[in-house]
Amino acid sequence: MNKTVISVLGYDKPGIIASVSRILSDHRCNIEDVSQTILQSEFVGVFVVTRPDDLDEADLLRDLTSKLEPMGLSVVVKPMVRQQEWVPPPSEPFIITTTGPDRIGLVAGITEVMARHRINISNLKAVFRGGDEPMRNIMIYEVDIPLETDQHAFRSDLCERALELGLEISLQHRHIFEAIHRV
Amino acid sequence: MITDREVLSTLEMLRSEHLDVRTVTLGVSLFDCAHQDPAQFCNRVRSKVARIAGELVKICDEVGLRYGIPVVNKRVAVSPIAVSACFHSPEEMAQVARVLDETAMEIGVDFIGGFSALVEKGMTLGDHALIEAIPEALASTRRVCASVNVASTRAGINMDAVRLMGKTIQRASQLTADADGVACAKLCVFANIPQDIPFMAGAYLGVGEPDTVINVGVSGPGVVRKAIDRARSANPHLDLGRLADIIKRTAFKVTRVGELIGREVAEKLRVPFGVVDLSLAPTPNVGDSVGEIFQSLGLKSIGVPGSTAVLAMLNDAVKKGGVFASSYVGGLSGAFIPVSEDLNIAEAAGRGILTLEKLEAMTSVCSVGLDMVAIPGDTAPETIAAIIADEMAIGVINNKSTAARLIPVPGKRPGEKAFFGGLLGEAIIIPVSPHNGSTEFIRLGGRIPAPVQSFSN
Repeated sequence: MNKTVISVLGYDKPGIIASVSRILSDHRCNIEDVSQTILQSEFVGVFVVTRPDDLDEADLLRDLTSKLEPMGLSVVVKPMVRQQEWVPPPSEPFIITTTGPDRIGLVAGITEVMARHRINISNLKAVFRGGDEPMRNIMIYEVDIPLETDQHAFRSDLCERALELGLEISLQHRHIFEAIHRV
Repeated sequence: MITDREVLSTLEMLRSEHLDVRTVTLGVSLFDCAHQDPAQFCNRVRSKVARIAGELVKICDEVGLRYGIPVVNKRVAVSPIAVSACFHSPEEMAQVARVLDETAMEIGVDFIGGFSALVEKGMTLGDHALIEAIPEALASTRRVCASVNVASTRAGINMDAVRLMGKTIQRASQLTADADGVACAKLCVFANIPQDIPFMAGAYLGVGEPDTVINVGVSGPGVVRKAIDRARSANPHLDLGRLADIIKRTAFKVTRVGELIGREVAEKLRVPFGVVDLSLAPTPNVGDSVGEIFQSLGLKSIGVPGSTAVLAMLNDAVKKGGVFASSYVGGLSGAFIPVSEDLNIAEAAGRGILTLEKLEAMTSVCSVGLDMVAIPGDTAPETIAAIIADEMAIGVINNKSTAARLIPVPGKRPGEKAFFGGLLGEAIIIPVSPHNGSTEFIRLGGRIPAPVQSFSN
């Protein structure tokens, strides 16, 4: 069995997941993971499937494209990388939140600091609706900070960058959110 | 995955509702420091407190930064000095207080509690010496807090001690006459004092407690008030049952924050974790007031009719939420109504809406008592003692803690203002019944017997 990653992108409407999963099951593909999100009006779904040995990836792509393109959906099919190119180091989960007026380069500015400190983003949600209202321009990053990272240096670099970008920033251990909101 | 709502509501609580941890208080037993030579005792105290608590401030700040939740106050509570220094004279006891003060300054904590005695049933030589030393000890130090437990439900009210505390408070006030009697702001007289209070001035380390322990005081009233306001503006038809539920949920959240931070500090200090004290403790800052909660629940001001009912509901809802959030709840756990430390309550007292008598009534349903109440400097010691006796009676009969922290302000009369500075705030002096009508009663002395605990009507 070979693993394949399929991503589907397009204008959101009812029936997208149903159509994709029907095609996959017709080809005897087993879905292992699937996740979808909607940004404004755009749907994106990512599937990790196992494909029977006698099914060629090119054939699967052809069938998906022929059936989904008429629905306005773009499809990407690629083999899953077998060997892990990057092994996550032991780390602790933190949440980074920024608020502040919208401008070009906010995501690039903040994530550059994370990348420089080798900090991986495990989940990201950001909305920028313009204007100065802080809650309309917000980024929430769930990140894994490796245990070996110099947290003081990271925190101070992050705060310095936020200051340059005119953002209010907070970096908090994830446990505080769980403690406050979850029984 | 953490949801946006969880992140945003936490941010909101932090940025505009004063979500924090009010105090992390490290208890340090001094029983193993006891020595007949006062200098030796002082050396042992200094070195033990510095050894155990030396890293407290640094660790609290680190943990606070990690979770993005500030730990506002870091404090130390020690074993009752009347017991651990029982050999010593009043002058030597005052010297112990100065050593505690210096040690607190060295390790960077703002208060150190435990200049205390437990005398509800009678007094030892150590208790006598300590109480005699209180005025000088508090006048010559800035960080030391004193407390004396003069009553309990099991022992009744030690009226000799109550009378003595009336005099002691007057004396402490006179020794700090140039600072509006501020020594009395660091002195609480208790009934049923808990052994694990993290809040000052009542914090001390009880005799049944471990050698060292971390107790935590949760966040303040700002968070509760904003939660009520938000809920009422979203749905103006919420009734008191639903509002009590909002308070309960909010208390749950602040308690979880307190416990998480407290446990981590305890772990890093290698000290056992004790309790979370659920008390809503105000500060003299806008938006951090218990008094404002009364307004959010529909009263024009704290002190008008309805105030006792609101406080009863608030106190109970806070406990219900907190007890669900933590298995180890202790200390005073309720709402504080310290007049000078709460802008809104101070204002209500200043406008005459909140009187001493109404405050006293409210203390029958909340966790502390007549707290930070400035009274005229010429109030007779017997009158002070009688106010204390009334407050103790409420605690003893209702099987709860109560306390009196009364500050006679030298040279000032009702309506004038007293300034204590910092966290202690400022307050208008409240009138006290001027008839000196309690003297004969107070001079009777003895002990009011413990109450019967059945037939509770």
